[in-house]
Amino acid sequence: MSDSTILEVKDLQHIYMEKTPLEHQALSGVSLSVEEGESIAIIGNTGSGKSTLIQHFNGLMRPQRGEVTVEGQYLSDPKLDVKALRRKVGLVFQNPEDQIFEKLIGDDIAYGPLKMGLPLKEVRDRVKWAMELVGLSFEELKDRVTYALSGGQKRKVALAGVLALKPKILVLDEPTAGLDPRSRQELLDQIVRLNEKENMTVIFVSHNMEEVAYLAKRIYVLADGRNLIDGTPGDIFGNSEVLSKHHIGAPQTVEILAQLKARGYPVNLKAYEIETAAKEMVSVLQSFRR
Amino acid sequence: MREIASFEFELTRNITIGQYLPTGSLIHRMDPRIKLLAFTILVIAMAICDTYVGNIIALAFACYLFYMSRIPISYGLSGVKPAVPFILILAVLQLLFYSEIASGGTVFVDYGFILITSDSVRLVIVSALRFIEIIFLSSVLTLSTSTTQITHGIESLLRPLKHVKFPVHEFALIITIAIRFVPTFAMEMEKMMKAQASRGAEFGTGAWWRIIQRTKDVFPIIIPLFNVAMARAEDLVLAMESRCYTPGSERSIYTKYKAQNMDYMALLFCVLFTVLLLAFPFPY
Repeated sequence: MSDSTILEVKDLQHIYMEKTPLEHQALSGVSLSVEEGESIAIIGNTGSGKSTLIQHFNGLMRPQRGEVTVEGQYLSDPKLDVKALRRKVGLVFQNPEDQIFEKLIGDDIAYGPLKMGLPLKEVRDRVKWAMELVGLSFEELKDRVTYALSGGQKRKVALAGVLALKPKILVLDEPTAGLDPRSRQELLDQIVRLNEKENMTVIFVSHNMEEVAYLAKRIYVLADGRNLIDGTPGDIFGNSEVLSKHHIGAPQTVEILAQLKARGYPVNLKAYEIETAAKEMVSVLQSFRR
Repeated sequence: MREIASFEFELTRNITIGQYLPTGSLIHRMDPRIKLLAFTILVIAMAICDTYVGNIIALAFACYLFYMSRIPISYGLSGVKPAVPFILILAVLQLLFYSEIASGGTVFVDYGFILITSDSVRLVIVSALRFIEIIFLSSVLTLSTSTTQITHGIESLLRPLKHVKFPVHEFALIITIAIRFVPTFAMEMEKMMKAQASRGAEFGTGAWWRIIQRTKDVFPIIIPLFNVAMARAEDLVLAMESRCYTPGSERSIYTKYKAQNMDYMALLFCVLFTVLLLAFPFPY
């Protein structure tokens, strides 16, 4: 464990409804380690344990077996300050717009900071900061009613509600599921900005491989409650064996490159980004011209 | 303890209503109409029987039903657990204030308005036993019968009431929806609690006398839960209408129940058991 490791999971196991006939093992030995400032994607099929895993990051679930460490703090410690931990690790659930409950946007975002017992001035600053981070105008929108917003805007409000806690690690469960393409792209760009400008560590779960390719610097693949492999998107998407064995899709760019490779063209499968993939395709096309 | 902390939010663990545990036992395979009838008869028997021996036999029978349906008895016990405070409060009230109803027998304590006799002690113990018996019995029923079976059963048992213009089908539909949504809302609530806790919410941590504060603490769960409930109800209406559901129109049932000899035997056994329990002169 290096100095910059911010979150570490060691051989984590979790069994739901233990010692009942409905017992179900969701995690059966997951290990991962995240450096400060990284952007990590966790991918895997439904039921692979992704949601259970991320709920361990901010202490909603405590390790039954194994260990989770956030900045050197052991989450199995019964005397752990859970509230402080949840401020450090901001968790945004799937469809977070469901959790909005205040009438006014500003009030809803202020809920977390107010619960922290911050002075009003500071709360106001944080709400402003969080709203502007997600691209909502503070002056214009803070006194608007929450129920009149569009789906994409509601999601931004919910995200701002978590960001107002100023977390060091932002954990997102399917952040763009169900959004229209434009809101999706906006949200992705904001997450990139949080990661790069604010140096927030981002960990997210996603089924959308385009999104994974766009956001993640490193990927963990989960299957049956275990982590199979991890590596850069290039490594993972280049490994067609693992992808097909565990029925994990790949971004369209990788699919096209894999098809070209299968037909005998010399392309680099690791060039998953749109620009690099385009270059590979151009070089194939140019080989025809010659 | 780590064990306790690890399922702080596992609400669904504690909700046994609407939970169905398929084990394929004889009781599971019973005709739901017969099962409901037998259940009703047994509940009546247990509610009337007021002897020590009779109630112990009834309790033993309820335990045996768990064995027969291959459901762990811990399920029954977890159903009793939340009822324990009620049973205790009821017991204390009965012991202190029911002397007018149960004044017979030996007098144990006679102090001012407090009169404790062997009859009132019997009343207390018997009602506690009854409570546990009926919880066990209903646990077996719900754990061994799916909600669709229960509602179909209720619907066909109530069918004769149609002649007096009782809306049998609508009644059954309301029950189905209500039972079906209990686990769904428990899950939604669990998710909402986790989401709000992630933003710093706390539940049930303030001192109990700060009622206003503790009430305010649940707003962040209750309000979104209402929204979700409305959205779910709307979805349900659309789903029903898109499949041409028309209230009040005649509809056929996919599964027709046909009672086997086994079912009648079980029913007969329950009737005999009831007669025995109520008519036999138990010494205590």
